[in-house]
Amino acid sequence: MIPKIRSGIAEFDELTGGLPENTMTLIYGPPKTGKSIFCYQFLCQAMEDDDLCMYLMTDYDLTQLEQQMMAFDWFIHDYILNKRLYVIDTASGSVGALQKETDNMAISFPQNPTDIASKVIQQLQCVHQKAQRFRSVLDSATTLFAFNSPILIIRVLKAYTLRIKMAGGTGIVTYTEGSAEPQIETMLKATADNIVYLGEDELVIEAMAGLKRTKASYQITDKGIVMW
Amino acid sequence: MAAIALTDTGGKLRRTYIPMLDDMLGGGMPAGASLLFTAMPGVASDVFGYQIIAERMRCDKGTGFIYTNTKTPVEIEHAFQRYGWDLRSFLDSDQGFFIDSISPMMGMPAIGRYVVDDFAESEATVKNAISDIAGGTAVIENIATLLDSIGFDQTLGLIGRLNEEARANDVNMIYMFTRWNYKNVLLERLSDIVDCEVKLFSVEEKVIYRQVFAVTKSNWTETPRTNKIFFEVLEPGGVRVFIPKLLVTGPYNAGKTAFTHAIAADTVSVDRQSYELFPTTVGLDIGHLDYKGFSADVFGTPGQERFDLLLEPLAREAIGAFIVVDSTKPDTFVRAKEMIRMCRTEAIPKVIVANKQDLSGALSPEAIKEKMSLWEDVPIIPVSVVNKEGLNKALDTLFGLMYGV
Repeated sequence: MIPKIRSGIAEFDELTGGLPENTMTLIYGPPKTGKSIFCYQFLCQAMEDDDLCMYLMTDYDLTQLEQQMMAFDWFIHDYILNKRLYVIDTASGSVGALQKETDNMAISFPQNPTDIASKVIQQLQCVHQKAQRFRSVLDSATTLFAFNSPILIIRVLKAYTLRIKMAGGTGIVTYTEGSAEPQIETMLKATADNIVYLGEDELVIEAMAGLKRTKASYQITDKGIVMW
Repeated sequence: MAAIALTDTGGKLRRTYIPMLDDMLGGGMPAGASLLFTAMPGVASDVFGYQIIAERMRCDKGTGFIYTNTKTPVEIEHAFQRYGWDLRSFLDSDQGFFIDSISPMMGMPAIGRYVVDDFAESEATVKNAISDIAGGTAVIENIATLLDSIGFDQTLGLIGRLNEEARANDVNMIYMFTRWNYKNVLLERLSDIVDCEVKLFSVEEKVIYRQVFAVTKSNWTETPRTNKIFFEVLEPGGVRVFIPKLLVTGPYNAGKTAFTHAIAADTVSVDRQSYELFPTTVGLDIGHLDYKGFSADVFGTPGQERFDLLLEPLAREAIGAFIVVDSTKPDTFVRAKEMIRMCRTEAIPKVIVANKQDLSGALSPEAIKEKMSLWEDVPIIPVSVVNKEGLNKALDTLFGLMYGV
């Protein structure tokens, strides 16, 4: 029996039993299919289960995350105040905005994977002191590919995944299909344990331990991703 | 390509201003020599290069430049500020400058005396910059980006030619390299083309909790006996040496003091000859240990319950622990477990030293394991301190847990 955690999408969990604990899941697909929304729901579930979450964001800052989630009536303000959310923000870094860093709020730079890795490790130390298990989100790898040599980012994602899993984390990484060469996409898939494809209107579980390739229809509603 | 030898420079060395590193390198770096910092991802590395160039500009009035392909010059200036080094005045006085190879790729205005749009075109520019700073210091950050952008052979060739240019101009090349999952053969080739390599890694269990630097190659000095240094990075302050602490604890009369003396020869003990037959520790044992290139302070605690208030402060910040038990006295094992808890050693690597194996009635490690019923798998090493048996095994086991060596 593989221990699982709830993804935050009820139908997804009915279909799969949840995401296998202590694994990394790649969520990929064309632009604008709801990959970030998947992350928000995963974060909501962390909040509901009182799990810590380490969130590496490359395209929006913490305020924007809060606002985007508010559109779905998901409120993370207290979760942030209670220091249950650990953020590494490389979006502010890329535009040169210099915000103050705190224990659970780090700024890094998309073109500097060395710095990102050191922020990840610093936060893992804090997270690990508080909990043996936690969640992680990286949204999205696409931006890292855009700013760096793609092969370097494959190395970075391998190191990232290894670190998260060693520290007891269960994570998701998003990626926009077609933003790197097919060969790189193959390597990217090899860094993940589970692979979920978010197409135009279908969600495909391409790989997950103990599960056959499974398809379902889905739609983005004001309650987030809804599947049938 | 001839290796840099100390005789080439008449024995004169330039300091790196990294604590302990200069001692390990015999005083510093010969003019024209190259130094590669190879850092495990997640370990603070940029500070090493910045500290060398900042302190040389400040203390030696040296010149230098930073070639950057990972941080914009503005970000680097902020980093210097956080460490407490004033880069601005050196830039203003032209004592130091940037080769900016990142801003153009980020779509930002470039800052620096030189700008490189294309990594593959950087050679001529960097060579020019080297000749600008004869006798100075060049920091190149980051080799990983070059390797994965222009290719391995091209990068190695480039470094080789830059080193030659630097040697002709008495410039020290400082290369920063984040070691992602590259093949060993590449790492060896990289190491071969520099005069000195310092590795930065971490000592960890599940997450990194102590950082270490080690000189793994130097063409001008012998590798020193203690060559692994724990460090921390302070803001402000930069790289500081951290002397790690090992704890020796366990129940009364288990042989903690004897064990501490056996592993750390110069141990000083605060004890007294009581009315009983043996002296007992009433304060602490402090010793210093050099083992397999690592250096550590060893703190031994008293065992009697009336000194329990000393345990927590003695144990604070220890990174590894020996729990010494008397193998003939299973009734003391509960106390040993209690001490593990009071010293907060649950979370750090530890081994149980099953002492007094020379006495009849000593329990085997298996029997001790069963009687102690620990909540995790702690190695139990049979030891006889009086016969000096099992000491190295105990050290190897704990160091193995701490360093994965």
